[in-house]
Amino acid sequence: MKLLMNVQRRLWLLRRQRSTTSTIAKAHDNESSEPALTNTQLDELERNVTLRQHKNNIPLIRSLLTEVRKGNQQKQQELQAEIEQLPNSTHPRLLNYGNEPRELAQYKHRQLDSEASKKEFSELARSLNLYRMDHLGNYTGHKSYYLTGQLAMLEQAIIQFALQSVTKHGFKLMSVPDILPPEVIESCGMRTEGERTQVYKLDTGECLSGTSEMALAGYFARKHLSEEQLPLKVTAVSRCYRAETSGLQEEKGIYRVHQFTKVEMFAICSPQQSEAELEEFKNIEVTLFKELGLNFRLLDMPPCELGAPAYQKYDIEAWMPGRQMWGEISSCSNCTDYQAKRLDIKYKRKSDDQLLHAHTINGTATAIPRLLIALLESYQNGDIIEIPKVLRPFMDDQKVITKNKRIPETKLVKFIKSNH
Amino acid sequence: MLNLRTTLRRIKITRRHISALYITGDKANENYVTLQPFLDFTDTFRDKTELERSIARRWLDVNLDAVLSKYHKYQSHQGELLRLDEERESVTKQLKVLAKSCQEVEEAVVQQLKERGKKLRNDVKILKQTIYPIEDDFIHDFLNLPNLLHSQCPSGQEETLLYRHALPENARKKGPSHLEREDLIHFVDNNRYYMMDQAAHFDVNAMQALARYFVTKGDFIQTANPDFARCVLLEANATPLEHYHLVKEEHLQNKLNTAFLTGGGSFESYLGAMTKLCVYPSVLPLRYVCCGRSYSRAESHQYGSLSSLYTATQTNAVQCFIATQTSNQADEQLEHVLNLAIDFYKALDVPFRIVYAPATSLTSAESLRAVVEVYAPSLQRYISVGRISNYGNYVSKRILFSTRRGKEYDFLHLIGGPVLYTSRLIAALLEHGIQLEKCRLLGSANGQLKTTLQNDIQQFKELFK
Repeated sequence: MKLLMNVQRRLWLLRRQRSTTSTIAKAHDNESSEPALTNTQLDELERNVTLRQHKNNIPLIRSLLTEVRKGNQQKQQELQAEIEQLPNSTHPRLLNYGNEPRELAQYKHRQLDSEASKKEFSELARSLNLYRMDHLGNYTGHKSYYLTGQLAMLEQAIIQFALQSVTKHGFKLMSVPDILPPEVIESCGMRTEGERTQVYKLDTGECLSGTSEMALAGYFARKHLSEEQLPLKVTAVSRCYRAETSGLQEEKGIYRVHQFTKVEMFAICSPQQSEAELEEFKNIEVTLFKELGLNFRLLDMPPCELGAPAYQKYDIEAWMPGRQMWGEISSCSNCTDYQAKRLDIKYKRKSDDQLLHAHTINGTATAIPRLLIALLESYQNGDIIEIPKVLRPFMDDQKVITKNKRIPETKLVKFIKSNH
Repeated sequence: MLNLRTTLRRIKITRRHISALYITGDKANENYVTLQPFLDFTDTFRDKTELERSIARRWLDVNLDAVLSKYHKYQSHQGELLRLDEERESVTKQLKVLAKSCQEVEEAVVQQLKERGKKLRNDVKILKQTIYPIEDDFIHDFLNLPNLLHSQCPSGQEETLLYRHALPENARKKGPSHLEREDLIHFVDNNRYYMMDQAAHFDVNAMQALARYFVTKGDFIQTANPDFARCVLLEANATPLEHYHLVKEEHLQNKLNTAFLTGGGSFESYLGAMTKLCVYPSVLPLRYVCCGRSYSRAESHQYGSLSSLYTATQTNAVQCFIATQTSNQADEQLEHVLNLAIDFYKALDVPFRIVYAPATSLTSAESLRAVVEVYAPSLQRYISVGRISNYGNYVSKRILFSTRRGKEYDFLHLIGGPVLYTSRLIAALLEHGIQLEKCRLLGSANGQLKTTLQNDIQQFKELFK
């Protein structure tokens, strides 16, 4: 019964977006009486799954439901697992987006002269002796990298800058664990099993967190908050571990890496607050990148780009002149009650003391590697790189990044003969 | 009891016979050789007495005489192999000369030489097969031999005091645990805890401040390092593998060379960038410092049976790494690091001391370890919040980190270690009743204050626009 109620809840959200259809109206009637899952409701779920280009497990759910209804209780668990794989419902605004994101705005803060001469990050950082990524696979792993000198300092400056900005907006800083039980990660909508899992596992069976959103959401698991506490906004600096890999030329260098540092924003709010809260996340991100002086665009992501947990999502892409492409540097999502249900995060409604599932929002304040790409490529000026004004106070007022001559260049030996 | 446990653990380690660091020819087909360490037999066996002393004082279960006898066996087989190779070469040369000479040569002579050559080839093949297990056995024992001990390493089983700042008040009375501060700490288990508000700010700020202090006052170069180190690096550094979590990888190419979650703030993480690196003497001493995570399980058993921030695996850390050309320079650099660390901890005004750890606590690679210890009232003892070790050129030889002197390679002397574990420091500071937000952090960016001030002035000005 519990699982059916879960589906009912998902359906209720779907109904919100298509309240005019008569079939849903019918289903709505059902909600108040008998929470049975009708074919119409399943059709509705299937439409959503298809729209989001998610793995369509509705036929399987249908057959499992039949089995369970026949009294085969052994299938109950399997059915529950399949239902949990279903994606969140989709914001009605996105229904006619097709497969392409909608560009909401472009922000130009830098006049980039003669873009053709702009160098790509790896080339630029290597020529300034501030980065190393070659010949490391056998020692520190595939796509591992070292940042050196001013580039390493820039990383810490960006963290301080981002923290200062988000804490001003009322976000409370938390230190979070990077090693998490698989259940927490699964509850956030990330698979930990299967061929294409992005999640690293440890010998203990625990997993490495892909984003601090998971640890933060996990912290609030089984917590029952009061409505006055909402929106509850937290931020964290963490290492993110992603097993994903890419051989694409445009994703070379540190564009897509297995490990990186990120400042994340996370909020728990009531259903009435969540849409406005997402807008606040988006505005904070826009302000951050405006202050950093990047050229970027704001995208409203289509259903197929939402992943499983998001109800709606904004992406921010910065112009990377060295690569001559837009690259995603930030995003924010409203997960409505998708994570809250899985983690049992509730709040007590003030008007009637009823315990309800909260909504969760997450967003990237700054993810280091891609931000470094965007900054270095945008601020390059011949052999030097100008440091954005807002970061200078965190870098002892240094104004430019120049070639580091104290760091040894990578000259490797193959073998040194031992004395036998 | 503790020492017995340590010894047993060490015994277990020395029994490993599979290694990513040294792969003999017969196994090289299945396992990719990533690194061939410089095996310095001459230097290692030069002072047998010192080596024996090092083994004994570390309580290692290593029989040096047995290793030496394996060495002699290995050497004699290598000598025989060399002799056969030389003879084979000579036969090949003779055949070439005969083939080129215009004189008519008796077919029987040529045939005889060819037969001899074939026999030699087979002999070499057979001998190599015989040598592989001997080589395996000896080299792994050789790689398990420890570094020599530094003259300053305590001779007894106790640490020696090097520096002390402030004495703990009420050392006889057990103080409340930091875990009671539930407003600041939510502890789940050794792998999972959260810190809030000022504890979280201190966690980031203290790490950044100390790294910056090393850069500005100590002339260090800041880096940001990867979080995984492969088995070959851990073995080169003689790090017991159980100190870190193993990372399971879907598509592992070299099954011996698995990845471990060390964190970018670990010493092993630095070794990746130094492996096979040959630097100009002009860049020495090379001084690096980094901010990063550390996920070491090494010392967790030391701080009581109850899990807490003192035993937690994950922490923010400041790691330093220095390479010098000589051992004297290494000693100077260790002192340099300790002085910077003393400045930093003194400013916090917390009871702390610096001690040299006894030989039994060291890994085989360390010749000396200085430990920064802060007094923990709840445990009524000092706990390590950082350490700096001298590795001599033991690790450099294994990872081929060198500088050129003419045609010779000089292996660099390494100094390094985490100078700060933020979680443990936060726990101790809270137990001392110190307000984290009021702590004086040497190296913290004045810029932050300036920016806030500038922003406030700007906002004030905007009121009148």
